[in-house]
Amino acid sequence: MEITRNRIWLHSKNLEKQGRAAKIEVPLFFHSTTPSPLWETSEIQADLGLNRRRRGSGLGEMSDLDRQIEQLKKCEPLKESEVKALCLKAMEILVEESNVQRVDAPVTICGDIHGQFYDMKELFKVGGDCPKTNYLFLGDFVDRGFYSVETFLLLLALKVRYPDRITLIRGNHESRQITQVYGFYDECLRKYGSVNVWRYCTDIFDYLSLSALIENKIFSVHGGLSPAITTLDQIRTIDRKQEVPHDGAMCDLLWSDPEDIVDGWGLSPRGAGFLFGGSVVSTFNHANNIDYICRAHQLVMEGYKWMFNNQIVTVWSAPNYCYRCGNVAAILELDENLNKQFRVFDAAPQESRGTPAKKPAPDYFL
Amino acid sequence: MESSPPPAQSPKSPSSPSTTTSSTGTCCNCGGPTSFAPPPQSPTGWPELSPPPNYRPVRAPAINLPPNNNSQAIILAPVPQSQKVPTISPPFLFQSPSKKIHSPDDIRAFHESETCKNFLGFVVALSESIRGRKISDPCHESSTTTKIASILETLIHWIDEIPPVQQSSRYGNISYRTWHERLIENSDSLMLQFLPDELKLSTVEIVPYFTDSFGNSSRIDYGTGHETNFAAWLYCLARMGILKEEDYQAVVARVFMKYLELMRKLQLVYCLEPAGSHGVWGLDDYHFLPFIFGSSQLIDHKYMKPKSIHNQDILENFSNEYMYISCIAFIKKVKKGLFAEHSPLLDDISGVPTWNKVNSGLLKMYKVEVLEKVPIMQHFLFGWLIKWE
Repeated sequence: MEITRNRIWLHSKNLEKQGRAAKIEVPLFFHSTTPSPLWETSEIQADLGLNRRRRGSGLGEMSDLDRQIEQLKKCEPLKESEVKALCLKAMEILVEESNVQRVDAPVTICGDIHGQFYDMKELFKVGGDCPKTNYLFLGDFVDRGFYSVETFLLLLALKVRYPDRITLIRGNHESRQITQVYGFYDECLRKYGSVNVWRYCTDIFDYLSLSALIENKIFSVHGGLSPAITTLDQIRTIDRKQEVPHDGAMCDLLWSDPEDIVDGWGLSPRGAGFLFGGSVVSTFNHANNIDYICRAHQLVMEGYKWMFNNQIVTVWSAPNYCYRCGNVAAILELDENLNKQFRVFDAAPQESRGTPAKKPAPDYFL
Repeated sequence: MESSPPPAQSPKSPSSPSTTTSSTGTCCNCGGPTSFAPPPQSPTGWPELSPPPNYRPVRAPAINLPPNNNSQAIILAPVPQSQKVPTISPPFLFQSPSKKIHSPDDIRAFHESETCKNFLGFVVALSESIRGRKISDPCHESSTTTKIASILETLIHWIDEIPPVQQSSRYGNISYRTWHERLIENSDSLMLQFLPDELKLSTVEIVPYFTDSFGNSSRIDYGTGHETNFAAWLYCLARMGILKEEDYQAVVARVFMKYLELMRKLQLVYCLEPAGSHGVWGLDDYHFLPFIFGSSQLIDHKYMKPKSIHNQDILENFSNEYMYISCIAFIKKVKKGLFAEHSPLLDDISGVPTWNKVNSGLLKMYKVEVLEKVPIMQHFLFGWLIKWE
């Protein structure tokens, strides 16, 4: 299976080099095991037929996208058909990104958001608007909060509009399995009355990059390290276009946690990924000539937390997580010389939050 | 708050990572080898302070769900009905219970089984026993229900004796593990406080349900699966005839209320994380049953309607007597923000016209969202009292 998928991948890459219609191959990446009827090849052909080369999209389309961004900034979700079109465009961009996506400074790094849309607006208030500020989001855009749909679509729309100004990498919640347990699935069903939007979004999750490397000096990843990975090149060889596996390197990058009391590697109570200690981080940073690792994945009450002698930092960007934890959030601003500035912020005040629309009670109560 | 993957398809012994560190990297600075010490291969290698889980959960293969057009099916599904619990007779074949549900097929089999119908029927019977009654209403209290309530009181006292440690950053407090260890150590003797002589051997079977009723010590979390274990433990006692139908009102109003008090204290003091919560899209971060029992209490209430939960006066004045009201008040106490945003489902349910509809809807929902969910029920235990058929 792996070999087949790689072959298709290479084949498509070659076609691309030859300037041919490589994108027609794209649907083949979707679930090599379970083809999704939502992405019929013919439809994609039709869609892409109208599409210009990705960064040179026509003005008409661009203003359409700008309108959608404005709409999403008001926390109004897109129509199902618009979500589908947006995901197709995003796929074209994301598919070309490396598993270790290169990012230039200055850039502002953000941790977990978890559907806290109005708190993300606070984040943009504190950090500056995209594209004026360059952003790197470390994943976990969805689940838990009320506005995962709006949150993820706004970030995705910004990605399509300003592909070089915003980088989105995958978190452990960007997964079909996890979103069925932690809320995003229920949210899509409740807001759209069907799971199509969940399917489009979870399909695009497979295309998100796994990590980023800022100016060759700062390695950024959602979770942490993996015992299967010693060099960045090993990450580059992962075939990432799949559901997050249950174990192995790709899983660990999204699931692992640094842990003070562990020397070397320990099993994670999360049931996926590993715990890793300071010596693992030192060795990795030394081997790959990086200054430190920046990751998210764990709630830290103070918004950010250095560990192991400033060799790894956790950045958490969801204030008052789950409406109950009372934590502050942080983002990490890096200037062009990689000087660091943490900006800490609180949950959006009540008056700047919209009121959710009242819905009829679920079917159980009819 | 950390998330964990939907847990194991099957209990597995700890496995080493699929790829090992055999590929030795080379440092780009000094040219030295870069491989780390290998990850743990066996439970024995772990540090004292981070006890390993006894299995490594593996998530189910990725699937795209079929289109969700079963709303008609949900509406037409019958409301679960109460059932009498058949009591056991000798010879008693108590056994250590084990997990049996590993796949959607197993769940389907479970659902067609008498075991499942009878367990759900027991929950409905508990719900009916408190219908139209306040918590403080007089009810038959047997020595067993009194004893169980006092055992739960003991567990509450332990929390005071095991204060949370000062820790930075992490949400869940590791002192919970100390509390949980004490629970495990004492569970057998706690059971023996009320088990009659001829049933003392049942500890082998009922203790595992009991110790799984208060959360998971390695993840420091708690959810509806643990709550269901507590209901299953009560069901085992009913199967043995220790709890009789005449006790049911006290089981809800005295025992379950005490359990709820204990759980809230554990949640607050040790900051238990919600296990597998659907975030704002679940009924509640932790609980389900008090909403069922509580809505039953309010059926045909003279002036409190489902929409009354938005009335602050009602929340303040009736939390002591009505479980549903106290659950809403508790949520409003611990959560900040608009109720409609952090608890949209409860907000939507407040638009249902009658408590009867709320109660029957919650029972239907409990069956589908808890008892039919693999990630929750794969931890459910089966033995001689609760048989896997």
